[in-house]
Amino acid sequence: MLDSALTALGSLTDPSLLVMLAVGVLAGLVIGLIPGLGGTGAVAILLPLTFGMDPAPALAMLIGALAVVHTSDTVAAVLLGAPGSASASVTMLDGYSMARNGEAKRALSLAFLSSMAGGIIGALGLTLAIPLARPLVLSFASPELFMLTILGVSLAAVLSRGNVVKGLVAGFLGLLLGLVGTSPTTAEERFTFGSLFLGDGLSLVAVALGIFGLAEIAGRVSQRRVTEDSVQLTGGWFSGIREWLTHWSQVIRGSLIGIWAGVLPGVGATAGTWLAYGQAVATAKDKRKFGKGDPRGIVGPESANNSVEAGDLIPTLLFGIPGGVPSAMLLGMLLTYGIQPGPAIVSEHLDLMYLIIWSFAIASIVGAFLCFLATPSLAKLTKVPFAVLGPGLLVVMLLGAFQDSGQLGDLWIMVALGVAGWLLKATDFPRAPFLIGFVLAIPMERYYYLTANLYDGAGWMLRPGVVVFLAVLVVPVLWALFKAWRKRRATLDEGHRSEEVLEGGDELEGSLANSVWSLSVAAVVVGLFAGAWLVSGSFSEEARLMPRLVATGGLVLGLVLLVQELRARSGGRRGPRWTPDVTTAVRTFVLMGVFLGLVVVVGYLAAVLLFVPGFLLYVARASVRTSILYPIILGVVLLALPSLLPVDLPTGLLQ
Amino acid sequence: MTVVLAHADSDPGRAALAAALREAADHAERLVVVDATRGGARPTVADLAALEPDLVQALRDAGGEVVVDEGSVADPSDAVVQVAQRYDARLVVVGLRHRSPVGKAILGSTAQRILLDATCPVLAVKPA
Repeated sequence: MLDSALTALGSLTDPSLLVMLAVGVLAGLVIGLIPGLGGTGAVAILLPLTFGMDPAPALAMLIGALAVVHTSDTVAAVLLGAPGSASASVTMLDGYSMARNGEAKRALSLAFLSSMAGGIIGALGLTLAIPLARPLVLSFASPELFMLTILGVSLAAVLSRGNVVKGLVAGFLGLLLGLVGTSPTTAEERFTFGSLFLGDGLSLVAVALGIFGLAEIAGRVSQRRVTEDSVQLTGGWFSGIREWLTHWSQVIRGSLIGIWAGVLPGVGATAGTWLAYGQAVATAKDKRKFGKGDPRGIVGPESANNSVEAGDLIPTLLFGIPGGVPSAMLLGMLLTYGIQPGPAIVSEHLDLMYLIIWSFAIASIVGAFLCFLATPSLAKLTKVPFAVLGPGLLVVMLLGAFQDSGQLGDLWIMVALGVAGWLLKATDFPRAPFLIGFVLAIPMERYYYLTANLYDGAGWMLRPGVVVFLAVLVVPVLWALFKAWRKRRATLDEGHRSEEVLEGGDELEGSLANSVWSLSVAAVVVGLFAGAWLVSGSFSEEARLMPRLVATGGLVLGLVLLVQELRARSGGRRGPRWTPDVTTAVRTFVLMGVFLGLVVVVGYLAAVLLFVPGFLLYVARASVRTSILYPIILGVVLLALPSLLPVDLPTGLLQ
Repeated sequence: MTVVLAHADSDPGRAALAAALREAADHAERLVVVDATRGGARPTVADLAALEPDLVQALRDAGGEVVVDEGSVADPSDAVVQVAQRYDARLVVVGLRHRSPVGKAILGSTAQRILLDATCPVLAVKPA
């Protein structure tokens, strides 16, 4: 085992791997600065670049980015009071107050060092997890792996914040979407409606970027408020560094909480940082300064949000169930390389495991170092309004999704899923179970097929591993029911530590809950599952099983959701009908559609040159100079890109 | 000096409010009310005066006052302790309700956490 670890370290001396790692770190730092992208955006944007690479450099790049996203996202939170990602909103509480007292550098150095330590401790946790889990993983056969896939989706749904039914519905929707394409057992086409292009299934990059990336753009372009209250970068780096050393126990506690939050599916960086903050407050004797610039309020959460990403990788690599959205995409990438996480990775690809660990640790150190060096200039980047960044991001994301299959159809699907993602976000559905379900749909079916064929009857249900997983599956459900029942009985004093977001980091999240919108989302969900149930009737018996199961489960939950919605309505709780957010989102998605239409006709480059200035002038209300210079620079980059990287631009009908 | 009340709109909470008002009136002190329910609405001084009009008047006559404040952390018990520390309070008042042994075993209690974490004396009040 030590052998493989050292071999992996040796392989990192290969310059091409180091270059990829460096590219990943730089990209991760920049993406971390942009609000709303986070680890999901970093992996989704970089993933298309790895098509055609070997697994090792591809992993080095993606892990490099993932390890540092949460290092730089602090900058905007501390200096602007506008967090770069939802998980950085915790740092904002104490970091921004500290910065307003003229101690921005103290806050930032505490945050960077904690992020670094969190990353290293996370990598250590990943290292320790391998020998611990290895014998367990090697004893797994298809029944256990099948149970694990179910566990991955359902835990993600149950543990995600908010309504469990909504989480499960999102998980089922993801599973259903993952089943589109050729059935793995009978090679039948399912839900393709005769389209050849859907036969391969939907592209992971398109789905992830649609549900998360485009939805985020549409939700944020309306935000033009920036630099109202921005703080100068003052104070001393060294006071922060010295102080950080005295909080070493907070660092370790925060990191361990982060790893644990990462291991649990569906509990991501956001919940992990709140847990770490709550822990810091609860264990502190003197609570006076929390929320007004307490260093412990920065150190704990910042350590946690980096170690979360390492913790996410533990179940992903060892058991094949992603702990979060970025790792769900990594899992998808590994599958396209034919590397099956789980038993195969600990026996045949151990060197890759260690490469990941080393990359993570090295990237954490380098990332923190670069942040110290570059913060004065990075701080300027955080002042660019999102409305100006939006079109550039849109162009990059669509180009990325195009690389997977080279089909324009993927881009239309992506925009459609963007609308879906926005609606899910606004009506308070968690989206992580959706993507985890999408990634796990086919493995789930394959393992189920193997299990059903290798074991007689239900005998496999009695294997000890399966029994344990069943228990893990049932206990949280009972717990959730018990909590719901208690809540109805007595609203007061549940008494558990609550880690709810104090002041919502995101105004859009759940803003349309209990409205006519969420009611129609529930109705559409019911319609979708009912349709899927009917359509799956035409499949052969073996191909029908999974779709039928998913459709039935989804239908039942969809109906429950519909009843909940109707009840809330008759109970007089009515959300807003139409908000300014909706107007902006509708406008943005229509513009995205117009852009794709332009691409179809005149090709990508020309479409960018027409679309971006229009968007900047009419939606972002940017200055004329920006509106002319920006598309030109973007155009030059797009022209140069195909010769630097294996990237193709979509061509139009007129080209 | 200051008395801090962990406020909840329940029987024990109202008993605690009455006790806290009397305590504050005895010493002509300021009573700081902090909401101790999860996601509960922050009470207003008028709400409190409507609940215990006589005692609030008595406190005012004695030269004290009632104010409402909140902490900057999410957990209600942490928030109460935090506010008490910020005011350097003499006393925290909480209401206790009956809990079954099972309820105690499975679920924690905001009042219990305040009792354990507070850095000043705590007065625990039960409804009559």
